[in-house]
Amino acid sequence: MNYPNQKRVETFSIEINGQSCRAISGETVVDVARREGIEIPTLCHDTRLEPAGACRVCLVEVEGQRRLQPGCAWKVQPDMKVTTESTRIEKHRTILYSMYMSDHQLDESGLPVETGNGNQLRELCKTIDPLPLEPVNAPRAGRPEDVNPYIEFNPELCILCARCTRYCDEVEAVNAITLSNRGGETTIATAGNRGLLDTTCELCGGCIATCPTGALIEKKAPTNLVTLETEVTRSTCNFCGVGCQLDLHVHNDRVVKVTSPEPGETVNDGNLCVKGRFAYDFIHHEDRITTPLIRGADGELRPASWEEALEATANGLMAVKARHGADSLGFISSSRCTGEENYLMQKLSRAVFGTNNIHQCAAT
Amino acid sequence: MFGAGAMTNSIEEIRDSELMFVIGSNTTEAHPIIAMEMKRARQRGAKLIVADPRKIWLADMADLHLQLKPGTDVWLLSAMANVIIAEGLHDREFIEANTDGFDAMAEKVADYTPEKAEEVTGVPADDIRIAARLYATTKHAGIYYTLGITEHTHGTDNVYCLANLVLMTGHLGVRSAGMNPLRGQNNVQGANDAGATPIFYPGYQSVTDSKVREKFENAWGVPLSPDNGLNLNVMMKEMAVGNLKAVYVMGEDIVISEPNVTKVEEGLNRCEFVVCQEIFHNETTRFADVILPGACFAEKDGVFTNSDRRVQRVRKSVNPPGEAREDWKILCDVARSAGYPMPEYEDAGEVFSEYASLTPKIAGISHERLEESISGLQWPCPDETHPGTPTLHIDGPMIGRAPFQAVDYRPSAELPDNDYPLVLSTGRTLYHYNSATQTRRDAGPVAKQRNNFIEMHRSDARKLELKHGENVRVMSRRGEVEAEVWVSPRMRPGCIWMPMHFSESRANLLTNDAGDQVTGTGEYKVCAVRVEKMSNSKTVG
Repeated sequence: MNYPNQKRVETFSIEINGQSCRAISGETVVDVARREGIEIPTLCHDTRLEPAGACRVCLVEVEGQRRLQPGCAWKVQPDMKVTTESTRIEKHRTILYSMYMSDHQLDESGLPVETGNGNQLRELCKTIDPLPLEPVNAPRAGRPEDVNPYIEFNPELCILCARCTRYCDEVEAVNAITLSNRGGETTIATAGNRGLLDTTCELCGGCIATCPTGALIEKKAPTNLVTLETEVTRSTCNFCGVGCQLDLHVHNDRVVKVTSPEPGETVNDGNLCVKGRFAYDFIHHEDRITTPLIRGADGELRPASWEEALEATANGLMAVKARHGADSLGFISSSRCTGEENYLMQKLSRAVFGTNNIHQCAAT
Repeated sequence: MFGAGAMTNSIEEIRDSELMFVIGSNTTEAHPIIAMEMKRARQRGAKLIVADPRKIWLADMADLHLQLKPGTDVWLLSAMANVIIAEGLHDREFIEANTDGFDAMAEKVADYTPEKAEEVTGVPADDIRIAARLYATTKHAGIYYTLGITEHTHGTDNVYCLANLVLMTGHLGVRSAGMNPLRGQNNVQGANDAGATPIFYPGYQSVTDSKVREKFENAWGVPLSPDNGLNLNVMMKEMAVGNLKAVYVMGEDIVISEPNVTKVEEGLNRCEFVVCQEIFHNETTRFADVILPGACFAEKDGVFTNSDRRVQRVRKSVNPPGEAREDWKILCDVARSAGYPMPEYEDAGEVFSEYASLTPKIAGISHERLEESISGLQWPCPDETHPGTPTLHIDGPMIGRAPFQAVDYRPSAELPDNDYPLVLSTGRTLYHYNSATQTRRDAGPVAKQRNNFIEMHRSDARKLELKHGENVRVMSRRGEVEAEVWVSPRMRPGCIWMPMHFSESRANLLTNDAGDQVTGTGEYKVCAVRVEKMSNSKTVG
């Protein structure tokens, strides 16, 4: 689509690891590298957020710069030369990851602990031979008293990259959580350390989705999610009209978790709201109607077979049509059901019973 | 309006807006993810004008909040048109090339001066001027609206007024601009597209057009009715007086969601036969003669069409519980039981193929194509090689020349008086969804909003000697409910607001079922009510 009013952009080439790459003004080194399939590790980077350059994992060599520079924040310039793998960078990563590990909960194998929400730091640490550093004394406060039903924060796994607080500020824009305190006591906190239900938090769970280390996890997902065998199905949210894409995580014929596809892929750009991400308990709720029901002469509903119920439905409608004509019937379809089902409902109304009295709640 | 009933532009374009005019849409609560795009645009420097009787969340971050009285939108929008024309800010070239009826409309809005509008709407005349100037002089300026515009007896007039603004400023066929109704439900757009409407076959093909009818008669192998059917609002009224004798309700709780539900209940009681196809028992299933257990979205295949005309796949990930079945299979079975030879569709994809083959707007879409497309396909998509259409009307209005509409203000059907001195508007919240059979079964929404409430300005609360959190009785000419009072700085004095989600305290016992003349949409946003302290009125009801 050619829009006459599209903003003018300048393209030029840069060099990454000796390879010539096309770049667009305003992009960062990480943007270009990712497009070219060149791997630069990141932790604090999220395409939806302004670059923070906080975690220092993405440091690269830029020709003419004395120090290593953060690839996630460094803007490309024409003819710039970048190196992403070198002895110097390797040494930097070894020290950096070792420092993170000295301030992180480790498992028996000596690697950062993995929760149901994954831990990217763990994967990075597997690539180095860690230095023997003393564990850091960093008494970060959590919020063990927080009774909100969805979001849990484990400060032992937090690397203070501030993706969650920046997401809460820049994307969701409610500023419910913030970096708080100084030095070793720095933590992710709410105002007055209140539970999230008593803050501006809208329980969207975007903080969980953006957390790279699993310090934020879903309370309602199974704790062993990381080892649980799940099948993931891409679908469309059934609440409002935005059409957010969802990944339904299924174990044992039950939905156990809902996540968004990666940012940049779909209409919701990695985001979900409280309903889309968390309100799925209804699917497997014990109140679901599980059998056809027919009202008997006594006025009570009784379970029936499908054959009986279908016959009762067809006969009931045909009898009213025979007595009072087709236009004495009304068909109320559903804006919650699929397009195919709405097509079939109006076909049922028009072709089978002969009336155009077919509508749904959507006269907007 | 300009040839297609849908958002003219795409959701992803919002982030590149220069100005957003949001009217009658509490976007952060009703469409949270679209609101995120609006917030993003705002942080990138876009201007934001919010017109809403409540100081909604978006109003806090807006450059301008036009806090109009409920139901006075025609005045506000006509006055904006008045300013644009009086100050010569309209796009003469666009109007000349693409529209009809400018002069008649201009003559009409000449009477709607900002000063007079201030008297009716309560919005300062200068704010109206600023809004009009900003909107008219910004190129990438989009209008976003939803039920605050349409749920009035003059909802169609409100929409006409918005369309007038779009046309006179040429904000059509331009990226990050246009006229964008945000659809309430996951598949409102798709339900309308698929012909679940009394006047159109699938794809907005008129049931009274004999050529179209012939096409569907041939496809379906039966003669079809040449008469327009009844819209939902009229169906409910005909049911109440005993003319509509049987209803088949699929996936909708009309006893919660329709206005003036007392009448709906009367109607259901009079019905000779009621079928409900549902996933949960709800208020409507109490009246059912037969209940057919359907499947929720996670249990079936198909498509939903979102607000920006994007057809996306729904995929089965778990099995329906017990004997519950996919709804599309149930509908086919009912048709067969009634003696109609419904084809033996292998899967939902085959149903879609039949639907698409009769519907030019989506003829190029199929389940197979959607498998390959991560972000769906936006109609119009007339053939298999067509990439879909993110922005409509790029080459001028689809209907050719778009008509301006000269609109007269009509007050809402029921205005406050001595007996019922407050204006009630109803709506939705972030945490619950419609009749809330789904969201009230999840801990978060319940923790946030357990019971029904009204929002009320502190001056009204003081007059009635009400404290935040106490229970009150809210009464209209049609019914009464109990709710908590939330004293809220969001409200205008004289106006209260109530969500529609709570089955034990149904807002729609109060609302007025007077409907829009064209669409039949009920007047959910304005009715007259009285609020009473519980202790004073224990004997009532």
